[in-house]
Amino acid sequence: MSRRAYSSHVPDFRYITFFAETGKSVVHRMNPWTKLALLFFVVAYVTVLLDIYTMLFLLATSLTFYAVARLPLKVLLGWWSLPVLFVLSLSILYVFTEPGTSLGHLTLGRFTIGVTDQGLLLTAILLVKALAVVTFSLTVFMTTSYNNIVHIAYRALPGTLATVFLLTYRFMFETADEFSDILDAMHSRGGGLTKGIMGRSKTFAGIFGLGFVHAFERAENISKAMEARGFTGELPVTHQLRRPTYGGFALIAVALAVLVLAVISRYLDVDLIGW
Amino acid sequence: MAHIHLEDGAFTPFWLIVWNLIALALIGIALMRLRKGKASPRKLAIASMCAAVGFAVFQIELPTPVGPAHMNFTPLIGILVGPSLGSVVVLVVNVFSAAIGHGGWGMIGPNSIVNIAEVVLAYYIFRLARIGLKRGYFWSGFSATSITLVISSLMVVLIVGMSEIQGSSITREQTINNMLVIAALNIATGLIEGVVTGYVAGFLGRVRPDLLEHLLPQEPHLHEVTPAGVT
Repeated sequence: MSRRAYSSHVPDFRYITFFAETGKSVVHRMNPWTKLALLFFVVAYVTVLLDIYTMLFLLATSLTFYAVARLPLKVLLGWWSLPVLFVLSLSILYVFTEPGTSLGHLTLGRFTIGVTDQGLLLTAILLVKALAVVTFSLTVFMTTSYNNIVHIAYRALPGTLATVFLLTYRFMFETADEFSDILDAMHSRGGGLTKGIMGRSKTFAGIFGLGFVHAFERAENISKAMEARGFTGELPVTHQLRRPTYGGFALIAVALAVLVLAVISRYLDVDLIGW
Repeated sequence: MAHIHLEDGAFTPFWLIVWNLIALALIGIALMRLRKGKASPRKLAIASMCAAVGFAVFQIELPTPVGPAHMNFTPLIGILVGPSLGSVVVLVVNVFSAAIGHGGWGMIGPNSIVNIAEVVLAYYIFRLARIGLKRGYFWSGFSATSITLVISSLMVVLIVGMSEIQGSSITREQTINNMLVIAALNIATGLIEGVVTGYVAGFLGRVRPDLLEHLLPQEPHLHEVTPAGVT
């Protein structure tokens, strides 16, 4: 499967879907409801827990989950750059102003900015949390087929929302290709995005405007074709999804117990199991 | 557009629940309005395509000295599909973005609040400028987007300032002061997006004026196209 995305840093949904549809690992065979529940618990853990060692353990668990799913680690490292970039760019909020021992400072005229140990520690914690969740989230999407996502969306979301969600999933491949074509064409003609966006708004507006017009025309054609086939606003769900197995329920129960312990350790008894 | 680029674990559980409940209420109102108006398959297809375009544009990062910025035409989506369907579209874009690490899963709520404000404000400001003040497509699009994005950038400051970063001991005032740097960047990007949206609105007004017809008072809903040959 060849990859086609804006860059190696942005996860490509076509590539993600390819792994979801063709993978044969244990994680691929796992019940999607169980995987979704575990994703919820991972998000809950990083929200409740603050300790960096616990977070490192969670990251290691997410990475193991990814590796067991036999997904490409090199690709994941490239995709990590997106959350890393966000965390580092927003560390401006606290890295210079967080109270703590100064590790170094820079003086520019009358202004001095310094980095503290607590500021760096906070950045590291947020970074590890972000990577743990992103890794787990990508694993879930790279191991759950479209049919299963359709079933989950219709069970978990209101009808209109589920329809828009699933149609968007189907449409995003073509629109992503179209924008990749536009960007390729622009780069091949020597047009830089930063330079272009500042100096050539009109050209960009033409490109994006055309993108919207094409998108509308495609949507109109698709909706006519769907109506001709009896579509009334809700996609039919033919694929059935079983409940989680007893093993899956046991895994969810363990995850829930860990979350309860985490909440107790944070809000009631801080010395519980040494956290 | 304004987007809270914080990953999961940045806000405390309390604030995460508060923002997500507010977002849930807003989405509930949008869905109720849609159910009342009976969204046609064409509207749903157009909204989905807008979400796909929004998501595609959303992933194109514009490098700036302070951090990554991006456009995603949330105000334009609001202008094109209206506040209710626009609210559903921004939620879907935020869900797909969270799936790939562009903002955390828990941040879907706070980001949806900001983006819903964008689609609603842009729709009504565009309508006011176009119909009430009788401005052209460019100025209507530019003013709707610019005003909207200035307000939404300040909403981001408010949300992050109120929630604070958990684990940090800096004060709320310091957080807000630091966030103003990012707000300034968002506002600058918002002005550029305003210019681009103004041109896009002008382009659509020339090429496909029917796409903007629903803004006219006599046609409150999206223009229905009759299949060729059918009268």
